[in-house]
Amino acid sequence: MDIIAGLIQTAFLAGGVLALAALGEVLAERVGVVNLGVEGLMALGAVTGIAVVVATTTPWLGFLAALAVGLAVGMVFAFATVIIRANQVLSGLALTLIGTGMAATVGKAYSGTPAPAIFRPLDIPILSDLPFFGRAFFQHNILVYVIFLIVPLFLHWLMFRTRHGLNMRAVGENPAAADAAGLNVMAYRFWYTAIGAAMAAGSGAYLTLAFVPSWSEGVVAGRGWIAVALVIFAGFRPINAAGAALLFGFVTALGFVGQARNWPIAAPILSMLPYLGTIALIILPVIAWQRMRRMMAAPAALSTPYFRDTR
Amino acid sequence: MNIRHLSRRGFLNMGAAAGAGLILPKTGLIRPARAQTALPPVAEADAKISFAYVGPTADEGWTWAHDQGRQAVEAAFPELTTTYVENLPYSADASRILRRMVGEGANMVFVNSNYGDFLYDVADRAPDVAFYECDGRTTLPNMGTYYVQHWYPSYIAGVAAGLMSETGKLGYVASFPVPSVYSGTNAFLMGARTVKPDATLQAIVINSWFDPQAAAQAGTALIDNGADVLFGIMDEAAYLQVAEARGVKAVMWNTDIRRYGPEAYISSIVVDFGAWYVEQVRRRLAGEWTPTEDILPLGQGVDRDAWGQSVPTEVAAQADAVREQMLGGWTPFVGEMKDNTGTIRVPAGHTMTERELYEWNWSIEGVTGVDG
Repeated sequence: MDIIAGLIQTAFLAGGVLALAALGEVLAERVGVVNLGVEGLMALGAVTGIAVVVATTTPWLGFLAALAVGLAVGMVFAFATVIIRANQVLSGLALTLIGTGMAATVGKAYSGTPAPAIFRPLDIPILSDLPFFGRAFFQHNILVYVIFLIVPLFLHWLMFRTRHGLNMRAVGENPAAADAAGLNVMAYRFWYTAIGAAMAAGSGAYLTLAFVPSWSEGVVAGRGWIAVALVIFAGFRPINAAGAALLFGFVTALGFVGQARNWPIAAPILSMLPYLGTIALIILPVIAWQRMRRMMAAPAALSTPYFRDTR
Repeated sequence: MNIRHLSRRGFLNMGAAAGAGLILPKTGLIRPARAQTALPPVAEADAKISFAYVGPTADEGWTWAHDQGRQAVEAAFPELTTTYVENLPYSADASRILRRMVGEGANMVFVNSNYGDFLYDVADRAPDVAFYECDGRTTLPNMGTYYVQHWYPSYIAGVAAGLMSETGKLGYVASFPVPSVYSGTNAFLMGARTVKPDATLQAIVINSWFDPQAAAQAGTALIDNGADVLFGIMDEAAYLQVAEARGVKAVMWNTDIRRYGPEAYISSIVVDFGAWYVEQVRRRLAGEWTPTEDILPLGQGVDRDAWGQSVPTEVAAQADAVREQMLGGWTPFVGEMKDNTGTIRVPAGHTMTERELYEWNWSIEGVTGVDG
């Protein structure tokens, strides 16, 4: 039982990194912008978080500062891809290179310093002390609850229950029609891309302030790319994205537990599990159920810059 | 010639004896890789010494330690220039970058670690440049190898770990199933078993030398499985932080990183390549350089770190007594030794040579998880 509780706990802790970044990417992709700079944004957020916490020893300030840096960098990216209409894939890759490089340079001063203050696990009366459930669900740091409960539910409500959300999806599906209906396509795209970038940077700060509480170059280790892939897996839906991140965290943790308990499966197979699982879960429902193909489809105008004069 | 009282010069030059097949335990296994004439001397002011690193110099681990060595070279020879490249990838890009180092006029190139064919190809085509591959398996007329005898401090740390473990279950965060990991896990458990005969070691392979997120998850899984002392071969401190948070102990690698987990920290396998780098550069400048295969011995490039604050003095004393014996020439790696399937791999009476320890590729009884 302890093992399973530990599994679930690790799944939330490790999945949180992916969930917040994936939720940000859902926002950007829903308005039609692919942001491949998540990896770089996470690195920037991670180093910003640690830098601010070293100076102030307040984790919240570090997290907010990372969001602010992500928003600023995201606005530059949105300016390039939405306003100037540069190629989104190339701009995203450039952002990854710039972000990881800048973070490495700025971070030289902070590597080798453990975070002086971190988001500590909460101690919720009664609930935290429950056997099994306490460790699995009620001993997390506050950000885990924000990332897995508040943000996905809010985004789901926003995207699928409000007029604003309908507009937002319209911009991603058919910007020309949205434009004709009087929506400001550029504003939607610009701001949601920037907010998505802020969330990616926030997930970097979560990484250094709650998960592995220190900065070292390369700490993101490719998780930004996984987050981008999870968005496709999640069918561009916020609740699914959080669930996908949790599942990914769970299967990854399962691989480690499998090794620790000497399951008779080769270690490389266990390390492959999360990726094999993701592929299987993307393909199988679509094969089994035609309607899934439409439900899981990408926004029609994804990665296409919008030119009003060519409509 | 008493090998225990060799100067560094004599120590490095005793290659002929070792090459003749006389392999002495605890000497560092130095021998010339190929009989050949030395590369011509280089004036210090014209010399360019290049380093290629697997990770970032700010990693607080392996690459940081090697970069300290590079700085020692700069301090010893202020007129020469040194260059370095971080994060050398394991791909054809590595050859391209190394070739560029040669093109920029490097006289000597240190590469760490394990770049294999990506390096040999470059070294073959640059016969007037001296190469060294850390943890390498092959030598060329202009390329040697170097590493550390980390199995001795691992054994010492294992003694302390065995004394401090209550469950007798040790955990190990492994990178890849390579000889360094086999010798590390085996030596650690052998040390622990001298004081806790039923101790076992469980390893998790995370397929990276540097992935704090995976190492943290692996550490958590090992602790959940009952391990109360963690060891590993990571270039960062993630599992030490996990150990600190969960109230168990940890032994680390490369450098003193106790500030990440002062209560959990037992010790670290610390490496110091500075003196060796300086000596190799000196030989290159002086025109004496021929390739060597060096495995730096305990106390001369690799050692245990100062004990952590939570290590009781009697534990430290007991482990240090073993260290003293080792410095005196004693080795624990003596047959009969069985692998974890029960097959006898080292016959009774046979002492494993440094070469055999360097190339150790099977787990002893009680070690699980490395072979997958």
